[in-house]
Amino acid sequence: MDHTSTFEKTLRGVLITLVLVFFLFPIVWIFLMSLQTNETILRIPPSLAFTPIIDNYTALITGQLRTAAGSLQLNFMQNMFNSVLLSVCSVAVSLVLGVPAAYAFARFKFRLGEDIAFTLLSFRFAPALLVLLPLSLYFKSLGLTNTYVGLIWVYQLICLPLILWIVRGYFEDISPDIEHAYRIAGNSWWQTFRKISIPLAKPGIAAAGLLAFIFAWNNFVFALILASADKQPVTVGALAFVTASGIQYGQIAAAIIISITPTLALALYAQRYLVEGLSMGAVKG
Amino acid sequence: MAELIINKVDKIYRSRKGDVHAVKALDLTVKPGEIVALLGSSGCGKTSTLRMIAGFEDVTNGTISLGGKAIHTLAPAARGVAMAFEAYSLYPPLTIGENMSFALKASKLPQAEQEKRVKAMAEMLEIADILNKYPSSVSGGQQQRASLGRALVRDAGLYLLDEPMGQLEPQLRAVLRGRIKHYLREHKCTTILVTHDQTEANALADRIAVMEGGVLQQYATPAELKARPANLFTGTFIGEPPMNVFNAEVKSNAEQVSFVVEGGTTLSYPAAQMSESLRQALGKTSRIALGIRPHALHLGEGPVKGKVVACQWLGDQTHVAVDVAGRTVVSVSQERVSRAPGSDVALNVAARDLHLFDPASGNAIAHGGQPA
Amino acid sequence: MTQLSITSLSKSYGSFKVFDGLNLEAKAGEIVVIFGGSGTGKTILLRLIAGVEEPSSGVIAIGGHDVSDIAPEHRGVGMAFQNFALFPHLSAAENIATPLRAAGAAEDKVKAGVNKVAKLLKIDHVLTHAPRELSNGQKQRTALARALAAEPQILLLDDPLRNVDAKLRFEMRLELPRLLRQSGATVLYVTQDYKEAMALADRIAVLAGGKFVQTATPEDIYMRPATLGVARLFGDPSINTAETSLEADGAGVHVTLGGTRVQVAADYKAHAGEAVTFGVRPESVDVSADSGLAAEVVAVTPLNERTVLLLQTPSGWEFLASLPSSAADIPEPGAKVFARFAEAGTHIFDRQTGERLHG
Repeated sequence: MDHTSTFEKTLRGVLITLVLVFFLFPIVWIFLMSLQTNETILRIPPSLAFTPIIDNYTALITGQLRTAAGSLQLNFMQNMFNSVLLSVCSVAVSLVLGVPAAYAFARFKFRLGEDIAFTLLSFRFAPALLVLLPLSLYFKSLGLTNTYVGLIWVYQLICLPLILWIVRGYFEDISPDIEHAYRIAGNSWWQTFRKISIPLAKPGIAAAGLLAFIFAWNNFVFALILASADKQPVTVGALAFVTASGIQYGQIAAAIIISITPTLALALYAQRYLVEGLSMGAVKG
Repeated sequence: MAELIINKVDKIYRSRKGDVHAVKALDLTVKPGEIVALLGSSGCGKTSTLRMIAGFEDVTNGTISLGGKAIHTLAPAARGVAMAFEAYSLYPPLTIGENMSFALKASKLPQAEQEKRVKAMAEMLEIADILNKYPSSVSGGQQQRASLGRALVRDAGLYLLDEPMGQLEPQLRAVLRGRIKHYLREHKCTTILVTHDQTEANALADRIAVMEGGVLQQYATPAELKARPANLFTGTFIGEPPMNVFNAEVKSNAEQVSFVVEGGTTLSYPAAQMSESLRQALGKTSRIALGIRPHALHLGEGPVKGKVVACQWLGDQTHVAVDVAGRTVVSVSQERVSRAPGSDVALNVAARDLHLFDPASGNAIAHGGQPA
Repeated sequence: MTQLSITSLSKSYGSFKVFDGLNLEAKAGEIVVIFGGSGTGKTILLRLIAGVEEPSSGVIAIGGHDVSDIAPEHRGVGMAFQNFALFPHLSAAENIATPLRAAGAAEDKVKAGVNKVAKLLKIDHVLTHAPRELSNGQKQRTALARALAAEPQILLLDDPLRNVDAKLRFEMRLELPRLLRQSGATVLYVTQDYKEAMALADRIAVLAGGKFVQTATPEDIYMRPATLGVARLFGDPSINTAETSLEADGAGVHVTLGGTRVQVAADYKAHAGEAVTFGVRPESVDVSADSGLAAEVVAVTPLNERTVLLLQTPSGWEFLASLPSSAADIPEPGAKVFARFAEAGTHIFDRQTGERLHG
């Protein structure tokens, strides 16, 4: 039987509402903005009652923006495509590289193993700005500027450490005896890795993949510096709305809503795995 | 030295998932200076009972009194009870010796006397050489002995020992059991020990309270529990190897009483070996559960016939497993015997070693020809 | 014919030496028990034979062939682990089928093989269950079934009864020998329980201090232990010991215990004057005599069907006697008795080396 009083229950409800409002307010406001014209947005005082329009969304999708100065080409859908391509490919590459590496870190105790692992993790701590300038110079001389390959490569800085640390914890959790049993039964190392180690670490791999996707999708600074308009993802693409003839708040808002929808949907769908994956990474190592 | 009375005690753990009735209407009295064991498998309620006596759990219903004074409402420290915990619970920053003397600091004993006691206890428990070490640097068995020593070194009205010897090295167990039992007797300590190991309970206790599912099954001396178990659970729980149990049909007439066991084996006894009241009780039932302890099943001529499955000599006894009509039956001999696996063998059992139980309720009907 | 042989096998992790120069041979169909306390390297030895770890030096030969370069999947070994190591994402049947599938058997042969071994181990009714739905006893039998499924020549069993409850452990101890003999495999069985070792083994190899201290039949191990250490490990209660010295005079050879002369076999004459450890098994102590070593009964503790007496001599030597509970006249605490020691359970060990002295 719960012994919380009615007072405690109402207080709890009020506090939860306040916290929710605090966190959700920006998103709700932006959503409302995306349904308004620039004039409505800039009106003082701001009002909650308005007639919603979908012009902002149509403009983004069709690629035509009508402004006071005339019609402007918008590349927003190209940006969406870039985001999808970059994130999916980065995560795919990092999984192919990271999962076997995580296994190696989990199972084999080699010299400097912990040091290497920690160095890889430290990439998450370091601000990207630290390496951006040298990186842009290298890219130029290697001819990687404004290429998908270059960006996917750089995105490994974001994705690989996540895969490594989360999946390593899951591999460590599998008792080595289970793998030994499968080998002794007559299977090779590779068959054991495929049929036993990976299936048993699947929740961790999925969680790590999802997280890596979300972080790759949200990345701003690498694409900003190392790529130009046609290869840039939505995070950078939103800058295009800062035009010479004024800031198109309505389109920015609509662009933001469209760009957070995939990751929001993924996170909501897979939130249980994400929490597991995050705490696993934190507790192990 | 004081008498402990547990009167109609219940313990119910309440939670959102549902209530767990861990101890049900327990009535138990421990005489002053007696050593009592609470014995049962995990989840039977023995640890909950101990924690209620110590004061770490509230009593849901009922009372507990020590030496005539109700203690179930008092804080643990005020109860005059010394406890040795299953998880040792030694204080990490103190050495083993300091841990053991910590308990004595509150007493009025002079320093020299305290040191003497701790040293004597440490020698008894074979930890005198690690008194200056810290708990983290000694083995689990040594920590357990230190925890036990810490409890015993105090003067208390009641000693509570929770699985006190489970981690001990096998080679030390027999000697320490003897020494601890001697110490408890000499100092007339009223002691309750909780264990799942029926060998330990039998070795140390004056009386054993067998618990299962929160209910007290039987409270008696080890000899009584062995000779006259109250039900099938107690009968098969006590004793190693466990009792052989058969389903049997009873056929009795004026001359003899026969038990026909599954597979056709018939054990017949002259009516004179079964008391009249027993035969009357049996007359009403035709199906019983027949229990025969392995040590009571003797090799030699007899009605129980089968093939030897295994004959295992263990140094001071031999275990012979026999396949009787498809089921395995165990016979233990105190001498060295040898029977080749696969050979034919016959077994017999005396009437006085038979235990009869009601197959439905499990309650005992008779032991050795006398009603239960 | 020797099915399995280990020659000069050593294993170290860095500077930590687990064992050094182990030698062992097992004949086809033999059950050899590797007995030792925790941390003595028994599990590591099995892993080396299975091939999932590499030895630091030495040779392992199966069926006469050196297997040092052969990967575990090709060694033809079946192994059951202490913590079962069942594949959690496969059903019990699929677990058991693993070795058969790996060998490439046809589907109907796989099914037949699984059913056969499941019936033998009495788990045919839970074959479709996932490991987490099985009781500990069923998990252990599934692990055993998996090891037996492909009828391997060598079976490695790593303390399979350790994590199983007492009742089931006892049942399996009686059933296992028959099961193992039926399989026809050469078995290496690891355990810390001396009763299990004596019950199951054709021979026992006692592992201590990184070496096999004695490799012999259970009878030899118990009746003629090579060292004091081995004598201590087998027997419950453990063997009584006292440090003393052998003396010889006109009346024969004796040791002095608790101030009293205790006669020992004349065969020890050759070691007269040496410092020794005297040992006598509790079941060989007779307290119903009229003369002998004087002692007082300190405590009486029942031990299943035996009663153990803790005795103490006036000089303070503590020793245990183990009598059948059905014996007449079991003394009470405080009683004064005389103890005599039967020769069969009496052993003299060199005090320095711990080795048993032969008469």
